[in-house]
Amino acid sequence: MREKQKKTAPEIITPSAGDTSLPKAEFLGKGVPVFMAGNGTVDLLRIEFVFPAGQVMEDVHMAASTVSAMLTEGTLHHDAASINDLIDSTGAALTHAADKDTAGLVTVTLTRKLDDVLALSAEVLFSPSFPENEFRMLTDRRLQAFLTSRQRTSVIAREAFYEALCGGRSPYGRITTEDDYRRLTTNNLREFHMKHYRPDNMYVTVAGSDPWKALPVLEKYFSGNGADKWKKPVIPSPVLETSAPGKIFRDVPDSVQSTVRIGWKGVIRSHPDYQSLQVATMILGGYFGSRLMRTIREEKGYTYGIGAVAGAFHNIGYITIMTDVANAYRDQTVAEIRKEIEKLRTIEVSEEEMTLVRNHMMGELARTFDGPFSVADAIRGIIDYDAGADYYTRLAETVRSITPARIMEIFIRYFNPAEAWEIIAGSR
Amino acid sequence: MIGFVKQRLSNGLRVIVHRDEGTPMATMNILYDAGSRDEDPEATGFAHLFEHLMFEGTRNIPFFDVPVMMSGGENNAFTNNDLTNYYITLPANNLETAFWLESDRMRGLDLAEERLVNQKSVVTEEFRQRYLNQPYGDLQLLLRPLAYRIHPYRWPAIGMDISHIEKADSNSARKFYDRFYTPTNAILSVAGNVDPEEVFRLAEKWFGVIPPGEKIFRNLPQEPEQEERRELTVYRSVPSAHLIMAFHMGSRESRGFYVLDLLTDILAGCDSARFPAILVRQKELFSEADIYLSGEADPGLVIFSGRVRDGTDIRKAEEVVRSELERLASENVTAAELDKARNRYESHRLMSYISASNKAFSLAYHEVLGDAEGINTEHEQYMSVTAEEIVSTARHTFRPGNCSAIHYLPSKK
Repeated sequence: MREKQKKTAPEIITPSAGDTSLPKAEFLGKGVPVFMAGNGTVDLLRIEFVFPAGQVMEDVHMAASTVSAMLTEGTLHHDAASINDLIDSTGAALTHAADKDTAGLVTVTLTRKLDDVLALSAEVLFSPSFPENEFRMLTDRRLQAFLTSRQRTSVIAREAFYEALCGGRSPYGRITTEDDYRRLTTNNLREFHMKHYRPDNMYVTVAGSDPWKALPVLEKYFSGNGADKWKKPVIPSPVLETSAPGKIFRDVPDSVQSTVRIGWKGVIRSHPDYQSLQVATMILGGYFGSRLMRTIREEKGYTYGIGAVAGAFHNIGYITIMTDVANAYRDQTVAEIRKEIEKLRTIEVSEEEMTLVRNHMMGELARTFDGPFSVADAIRGIIDYDAGADYYTRLAETVRSITPARIMEIFIRYFNPAEAWEIIAGSR
Repeated sequence: MIGFVKQRLSNGLRVIVHRDEGTPMATMNILYDAGSRDEDPEATGFAHLFEHLMFEGTRNIPFFDVPVMMSGGENNAFTNNDLTNYYITLPANNLETAFWLESDRMRGLDLAEERLVNQKSVVTEEFRQRYLNQPYGDLQLLLRPLAYRIHPYRWPAIGMDISHIEKADSNSARKFYDRFYTPTNAILSVAGNVDPEEVFRLAEKWFGVIPPGEKIFRNLPQEPEQEERRELTVYRSVPSAHLIMAFHMGSRESRGFYVLDLLTDILAGCDSARFPAILVRQKELFSEADIYLSGEADPGLVIFSGRVRDGTDIRKAEEVVRSELERLASENVTAAELDKARNRYESHRLMSYISASNKAFSLAYHEVLGDAEGINTEHEQYMSVTAEEIVSTARHTFRPGNCSAIHYLPSKK
């Protein structure tokens, strides 16, 4: 027999977000901004280079992600095997990816290898050679991965959502096909690279216990060769053709579960409602005890997990709820989600629930700024989306002061069932 | 060096503290020495299902997550073949709330039937989502019973079959709880901006009164040495073939673990490693080729995993992998390869210790293996691996008779 709890609960100190300000930037000789996130004790440096070189800049579909993937497949000075060998020998990790709006290279290195690793980073960023043979092999590998992803209901539902939101002709909503892989040429890549990967068109973040160590080395490898004076990168606004709301079904034969994705158009990060939407989606489906998790997982047992987020690309915002459920539960799941939203549109959230969500979000904010590597991520979220240097400070203020009436107003404005896309990807 | 202090309460609970003043947060980690290897072969997946029940509340605290969130924290857990691990990361000034929560669920869990019914359904969906609704998702389910005949590693932590989860009952949940969720069988570690003396005081205050429970002596059937190659061919609706080759290796504490950990890094740890260079780029047999350790406490597996290029015969692909592995048994890896693997180990190690929660788990994990000090001494194990040791370990490990292979092929359309 286990004995009864005797002690009373400890008093909880209301969490605070801490310092949420954007670190100041230093500037290289030509004006490239370098944001410094310095503290911690680990003898590593994380240096990130960011370019406006995402999908939104593409003239030819897939150019952005392919250029990014090809950076370490050979340079003007080294073939693929030797450039990789040089990088790996330092123990550094170089990761590169292109998103919808921007593309970046993250270099994590032991401080003592800094000089070698930044020289290699500059080489892969500015002198890739896009060799034919490597390009062909990479394309084959990516095509195989692409074909596998066609069997994932979550992938199919996500692309259906972006297509509905942004239009199939826009770079945000275009659906990739096998042909896109075959059509692309190394000339497309060279062109894209030349246009967008330039030292006068980037910014840098440095995170670690002593980020200032990196400044002279960055100056050495990223300011020379008569590079132009830095200009603030510009991300263009593509034409977006949002489709009419309604139900969308995508057949994924033989799948044992269906992905349910319900979505709306949202707002971009600089919009005055963006922060309030963060609080609203947190209440709906942002944490383990959220409305949706409680109903769909804990009461009904339909799913392993369900979530809601409000996010944004540079030019358009979105709100989405997603979950994977057994095929037999998918209609009930949609019905239950609708019910939960209806409640939030008609009944104010209790003060108790508000306090819970406020404290949770404050803790989350504090973790966003815990340690230099996390701060570097936060910086990118601000700069890439023109969210404003005080974005996190305003978020903390909204979290502290938002009222239940305002939350209801947000649900009424942004979660109208008549304006939703209800997407199901699964077997018929 | 990760500095720490360690104490044992009179009820047997081991408490380890690492102070890190570079963060405003603290992580409390509690590791229970109970994993899927401790399950009845007729009721597999139980340890993991039980982990779900641990979040279902007690008489005192009906909603476990509420106080965690109120204090600005986050929490989660995982179960593997060896252990079940829980953690709460929260602002360091709210650390006592974590003590209150974890001590409460170590002794007062509500095991009401309806909670079990619901979590069985959640775990069933987890099983489907992770293992059945993913292309290649059931490879794990196929490999274990092929490679192991008697050791409980022959089933994965999620369980051998959904039907086992469906028939779990609250009586066995109660028994499992009473047996494994005791101070004697747990390790508590805290890392973050905390004063060790204060942590020991809190540990005594909240956990000190819990009865110790009985010490558990594991007596698991040991897997006999594999003498003959095993092969399984399956057809699934996937676009490309996949090859798995698994070889038995030593335990987590054996010297072979460190040797093979470095060796698999040399083979596939990075883009310039042998498999990506030779199997993917040079010979174009695979679109991905990886080799890694399963990493369990008892003797585990070295697993080669490769997606075969379309148009390549899987037997031919396997032959080339085998000849690469045989080459290791006769020809030393180069000094440059070994040096690269050591540099990479060093940066990975530093990288993983940026986060206080990783340090908290790692301390508890080394303690359950035998001594928390392992967090610091394993560095020497890696650095001292020689090329000759790699040859002899490879020769012993990659014997043809020690291999279990899966040919996972696209079904004919």
